[in-house]
Amino acid sequence: MIGPVFGELFRVAGVTGWLFATDLDSGREVGHDPDEWLPIASMFKVALLVELCRQADAGRLDLSGRVTVRGAERVSGPTGLSAMLDDVTMSLRDLAYLMIAVSDNTAADALLARVGMDAVNAMLEGFGFEATRVLMGAGETNASMAEDTGHGWPYLDPEDLARMRALDPRRTNRSTPRELARLLGLIWRDEAASPECCAWMRAVLNLQVWPHRLASGFPYDDVAVSGKTGTLPTMRGEAGVVEYPDGGRYAVAVVTRSFSPALNQPRADAVIGTAARMAVDHLRR
Amino acid sequence: MDLVRHLRYFTVLAEELHFGNAAIRLGMAQPPLSQRIKRLEEELGVRLFDRGGRQVRLTDAGLRLLGEAREIVDRVDRLHELARHGEGAVLKVGVPPDLAAAVIAALVEGFREANPEVRLSPSEIWTADQVTALTGGTIDVGLVRHPVNAPGLGFGPLLVQPQGVLLAESDPLAGSGELHLADLAGRELVMPPKEGEPGMHAEALAECRRHGYVPGRIHQGAGLGLVLAGMAVAFAPRTEVPGLAWRPLLGSPIAYRVSTAWRAETDAVKDFSALTVRILKERAGMTDEAAAPVRRVSRRPGMLA
Repeated sequence: MIGPVFGELFRVAGVTGWLFATDLDSGREVGHDPDEWLPIASMFKVALLVELCRQADAGRLDLSGRVTVRGAERVSGPTGLSAMLDDVTMSLRDLAYLMIAVSDNTAADALLARVGMDAVNAMLEGFGFEATRVLMGAGETNASMAEDTGHGWPYLDPEDLARMRALDPRRTNRSTPRELARLLGLIWRDEAASPECCAWMRAVLNLQVWPHRLASGFPYDDVAVSGKTGTLPTMRGEAGVVEYPDGGRYAVAVVTRSFSPALNQPRADAVIGTAARMAVDHLRR
Repeated sequence: MDLVRHLRYFTVLAEELHFGNAAIRLGMAQPPLSQRIKRLEEELGVRLFDRGGRQVRLTDAGLRLLGEAREIVDRVDRLHELARHGEGAVLKVGVPPDLAAAVIAALVEGFREANPEVRLSPSEIWTADQVTALTGGTIDVGLVRHPVNAPGLGFGPLLVQPQGVLLAESDPLAGSGELHLADLAGRELVMPPKEGEPGMHAEALAECRRHGYVPGRIHQGAGLGLVLAGMAVAFAPRTEVPGLAWRPLLGSPIAYRVSTAWRAETDAVKDFSALTVRILKERAGMTDEAAAPVRRVSRRPGMLA
């Protein structure tokens, strides 16, 4: 049969889109330019989460060990510790929960400092990921945008956007839709780390708060959507797993770049869900 | 007085302990039933029922006489049946009017092959009317939808038939490979008549509400004209109708349960029942009832925020 017309769907929403979806049990897959190298913004936090777990499995760190994050060390961001003012002491796994559930940049950088960027990339290489790499922490990404444009938030000028390392897949955190979906699949199949750690990662990814992207395509009480979003000027994405009431499990990754630099584009967010639904529907036919 | 008929009223009321329900089963109005029970009590010279407030209870005398009354009624039924067999046996069968034509044809043909000496006389009637007809002896065996409340009837094994959605080909939803009940929001629904299929009606609509679909209007009937006109959708097993699209429902939330039903399990009834189970499995996509899957409701964080 003819595959879904993703290109038309993305165009109508005012974006260029890339997508990959796979049935975690049968291996069936569907994609739309799924091997394109793309910036992944905060979706790098999933790779960091996996390496955090592997180090805990290896006994190199204690997930319940406490860390104090000083008020002065905050990385800018609209959620979690990033939005708080005073010193906070919490466990590594609670930091990881904030990093995934609300995309807390400060929590992510506190974890990255302990886990190590090289270790994250070594893990990715070990699993055979060719495109996926973590090259910047959350704070570094913010700083690079200011350096590249010579000014602070917001970034709306097309020339500014063209200069940003944060949007250049060769120089920033990057992946492909296929590799993002595969990374989620490793977590869902208990292959990314120990089964206990994988179960905890799935629970944390299921607690992500954003309803406007992947989850918007599956507005049903009996369909579970877990995932991690990523956002930068003109770039919106989410990688996650959709679980159906009959047990069907689908890893889906969608990345879009909008034609307009406007920050509020509900249709650009929603098309991530619509395209994901179309892909899963195709896999279930 | 027709003592046997009055004894039949007595046994049915003793099973239902409710004048309204007993009257429905007997296919009569409540006041005459009440009068006839009173006449029977006069005839026998004992009170059979205590009628206190809304409750009806058997008296000790009623309890003592009930077994004998049943025996008499059953023997008279058996007498009639033997007499009927003598004049060339006929098996009167009730099937739901919305059962696929091909399935009815397969039933008639299959039964004729296996039991050439018995003539099959099918009629299309809804579950509630089948129950009355079985009780009154106007049909010998039926194919009813569950849940059904009918004391005194025997049932064959329960079969389940997951339903999908029939919608006009022009409906935008026809573009999806499968649909969730919540996707049907804003669409009207065609269902079999509520009086004819009360149990199935109540269960299906409760399931619709639970999954986020509250039909604005429910059209009662089995015709698909409104669906073809794009004015409503209907639940149906997988089927192909020109101009209509059939799509499965995500998670199979709507599944109709059917079984054969009888009052007296004669050999012909047994044969028909076994044949029906086989044909419904082969031709109508029905399967043995399995435990219903537990519905897992996702708890997205935003829902309680």
